[in-house]
Amino acid sequence: MLAIRGLGVQYGAVTAVREIDLDIREGEIVALLGANGAGKTTIARAIAGLLPFRGEISFRDQVLKPNSAEHNLRAGISLVPEGRGILARMTVEENLLMGIYCRTDRRAATADVGQMFERFPILKERRSRLASLLSGGEQQLLAIARACLSKPRLLLLDEPSLGLAPKMTDYVFSMIGNLRSEGLTIMLVEQKARQTLKFADRAYVLETGRMVISGTASELAGNAAVSEAFLGGGTKPPHHAN
Amino acid sequence: MLLQQLVNGVTLGAVYTLLALSFSIVMGILGILNLAIAELFMIGGYLGFAVITAHLSLPVAVAAGMAGAAAISAVIEKIGYEPLRDAPLVTPMLSTLGFSIILQNIATNMWGSDPLQLPDEFLGGRIALGPVSIGELQLIVIGVTIVLVAVMAYIVQRTSMGRALRAVAENRDVARLLGVSGSRITLTAFMMSGALAGAAGVLIAIHYAAITPYVGVEIGLKAIAVMVIGGTSRIWGALLAGPLIGIAEVLTVAYGGSQIRDFVVYGFMIAILLFRPQGLLGGSGADQGQRV
Ligand SMILES: Nc1ncnc2c1ncn2[C@@H]1O[C@H](COP(=O)(O)OP(=O)(O)OP(=O)(O)O)[C@@H](O)[C@H]1O
Ligand SMILES: [Mg+2]
Repeated sequence: MLAIRGLGVQYGAVTAVREIDLDIREGEIVALLGANGAGKTTIARAIAGLLPFRGEISFRDQVLKPNSAEHNLRAGISLVPEGRGILARMTVEENLLMGIYCRTDRRAATADVGQMFERFPILKERRSRLASLLSGGEQQLLAIARACLSKPRLLLLDEPSLGLAPKMTDYVFSMIGNLRSEGLTIMLVEQKARQTLKFADRAYVLETGRMVISGTASELAGNAAVSEAFLGGGTKPPHHAN
Repeated sequence: MLLQQLVNGVTLGAVYTLLALSFSIVMGILGILNLAIAELFMIGGYLGFAVITAHLSLPVAVAAGMAGAAAISAVIEKIGYEPLRDAPLVTPMLSTLGFSIILQNIATNMWGSDPLQLPDEFLGGRIALGPVSIGELQLIVIGVTIVLVAVMAYIVQRTSMGRALRAVAENRDVARLLGVSGSRITLTAFMMSGALAGAAGVLIAIHYAAITPYVGVEIGLKAIAVMVIGGTSRIWGALLAGPLIGIAEVLTVAYGGSQIRDFVVYGFMIAILLFRPQGLLGGSGADQGQRV
């Protein structure tokens, strides 16, 4: 469904990622793992069309142009960005309505918003509240719900568990599992490697801008060297904070 | 007569409000002060004047002022903003300054630098309400302002386009991820802003029954002060600040003398900048995130 060949991204003179190859097949959950500053967010943003890049990204036999977020969304790629990307000065309902901004089937889209409220009663309860007043977990829920309203084929999630309590993390992960069983293909960017490998199909591990290992989730989870070097977490100092 | 002054102040304030909203739309979404707005306002006034003296109705005059100013604003966006959108913020501002000088120059060449007066036949009567007398034209100024503000508020708060405008203003990347085209929204913002400025221009021409090529500089700067006083991050702050400044100005002229009126308006603006930079309606200083 998605094929990346030789992807490179630079921020000015800094090369963030280079020579990345990555494939995602229909219906999979693919995890993208790596420590702080490894380049996970960069790859997710390049796929979503927020960055200029070198190399080639193709999605469903269509070559994606760099920096073409609107087009990529309409092609079926939706990114829940790092930090959730909630529109804080809008209400919960307005955030969801922004999710259907790109839809042309107005009536069905409006019905989908109603269905989201049925599916997540907590959002319905808070529909007229400013999104900034939601808890972190509720905001993540809102961000994922909003992304789903654009009817993506491929959903990119950038560290959805960031800053969440363990219980909320479990909930968000189970929600991601549900989305997959509904037929969505998912790329999950995470640092919580062990937990992620439990329900991902395949995973890629990044280190300082290069892809170092890839394989099925069970292979990676069983690979002692991998767990030592990359999955322990907290062994590398954070390069940056966002 | 205090009540009479209040009515006059509110009329003037209505025009300030419209023009401040015009500045605020572009400021809110792009973070730049579009200095050409002052001259779009002036051009709107001349267009309205032309329509009125051609014996067409007032609504036609307002519509003509809005359409003309919106069209020029679209041109300014395409030539003077779009190519510079990745430059530092001061660059497009300087480009809008260039446009404002060109527009003023065009106006002096087309209509001369002397004021045009609205002939008496168009002035309309006055309505006495007890001790207060309101000109019909004053009522029109206030009425048109209320209608335009209501339409604007509806568009911004209730429509899909308005949500997209606010999304771009809050977070351009997130808006793009949701399928909002930044460049289309920018053009929309410039045109809405231009339309409001044009309407305000027609209204000021009616209010003063006269127009000069320099009205943009005078009133435009005051509208910027109104925007600052209302709070640059809260576009609706202008609804309070506009009438307030209008009344303050009229009262100053009536009781203090016209030589100190600008002192009051801009003194108020500086005081706000110093002591309440978020403006009258702005929230606490802490929630002043980046606007763009
Ligand atoms: N806007 C930017 N300008 C310059 N350098 C950047 C920018 N964004 C990221 N980088 C750099 O690119 C590299 C990869 O960053 P990226 O955000 O993709 O990492 P990440 O794997 O998502 O990290 P984290 O786990 O902290 O989110 C880092 O070295 C970072 O400092
Ligand atoms: Mg990241």
